[in-house]
Amino acid sequence: MVTHLGKQWKTELTDLVRGASGGFLFGIPLLYTMEVWWIGSYISPLRMLVSLVFTFLIVFLLNQTAGFRNEDARSTDALKDSIEALAIGLVCSGAMLILLQEITLQTPLREALGKLIYESVPFTFGVALANQFLGKNQSRSGNTKHKGNATLSDISATLIGSLVIAFNIAPTDEVPMLASAATGGWLLAMIPASLLVSYCIVFAAGFTNQQQRYEHQGIFQRPMGETIAAYLVSLFAAMLMLVFFQKLHFDDPWQLWLRYTILLGLPATVGGAAGRLAV
Amino acid sequence: MEKKKPRSTAEWVTFGIASTILSAIAGLVVYVWISDRHEPAAISVEPREIRETNGQFYVPFEVTNTGGETVESVQIVAELKEGDRVLESGDQQVDFLSRDEKEEGAFVFQRDPRQGNLIVRVASYKIP
Repeated sequence: MVTHLGKQWKTELTDLVRGASGGFLFGIPLLYTMEVWWIGSYISPLRMLVSLVFTFLIVFLLNQTAGFRNEDARSTDALKDSIEALAIGLVCSGAMLILLQEITLQTPLREALGKLIYESVPFTFGVALANQFLGKNQSRSGNTKHKGNATLSDISATLIGSLVIAFNIAPTDEVPMLASAATGGWLLAMIPASLLVSYCIVFAAGFTNQQQRYEHQGIFQRPMGETIAAYLVSLFAAMLMLVFFQKLHFDDPWQLWLRYTILLGLPATVGGAAGRLAV
Repeated sequence: MEKKKPRSTAEWVTFGIASTILSAIAGLVVYVWISDRHEPAAISVEPREIRETNGQFYVPFEVTNTGGETVESVQIVAELKEGDRVLESGDQQVDFLSRDEKEEGAFVFQRDPRQGNLIVRVASYKIP
């Protein structure tokens, strides 16, 4: 009885450590990005709550679609995993912020909370991804038939991949700076460039899974259709990130939204392609 | 095909702790939201003890954001005046000052500020 209990704890602890490790992998670059500290320090409590909710939803989506592959997974498992992912993200980023002295005893509560919540977002994504790739769902490795919703799985993979890659770029000044130079034809050229790179990564580079991708089920059965759809999802993700980091506001002109989104869309698409390869 | 495993005690404990942490953070956010004082920005600057080194006069100052908003690009100006004439001046910019945050710096003068009329003030700031 004692050893059985011990084994349970060991498994659980291993899961937590794996989650935290994944969190660090994706969260550390943003922890060393000062724009995130700044933005975190002045956002309103409403935004803090909204970002908690959105992070939870995205992670839940990822866990839920992964659950389709695993026959004995339940919806409540996805819920439980998502809540734990958020908690691990908060704890890890909190510990790091304290270590780096971005949060001290003198830090006002509101500023501390803002920094903590904003920094925890990439950590939480990392936790969710760690469990996906390397984790509990061991049955993934041999599974070529996607039970359940392949379309949803594609969308969530693209979304998470885009978020992971473009999250480092979104808070810093490069996007506004590039956008001021990107006019007319140059902006238009970014669209086929993004599509081309995305297509190559998933369908032409000969990375693993390429054969499976061609045999893929779901609405986007043809590679070109999938590439275009993934591009749109990546653009959406890019837009979300720009709003999250307050580079775009709701009263900005739509031309600005278009420019920034297409610019950030390029790295986001690359991330989305990587996401689809890996998941 | 694996049978559904009942959740172990360890899993329940972890879940419990995770839920508690999450609820605590969410609760704190709601608390901050409700208790937020919506005051406009108020920035104060205070000169400190003037010291003399190597024939130059150092005027340290401390700038504090006592208001309810975070501000950017705070410009502090120091002027050494005699009557209406400005003899020497200096300015400094603080990139970022969140609520209740303090920053320190110093102005350097060639003339003794104690002999004239030294004014140290905040000239402008930006909302991020």
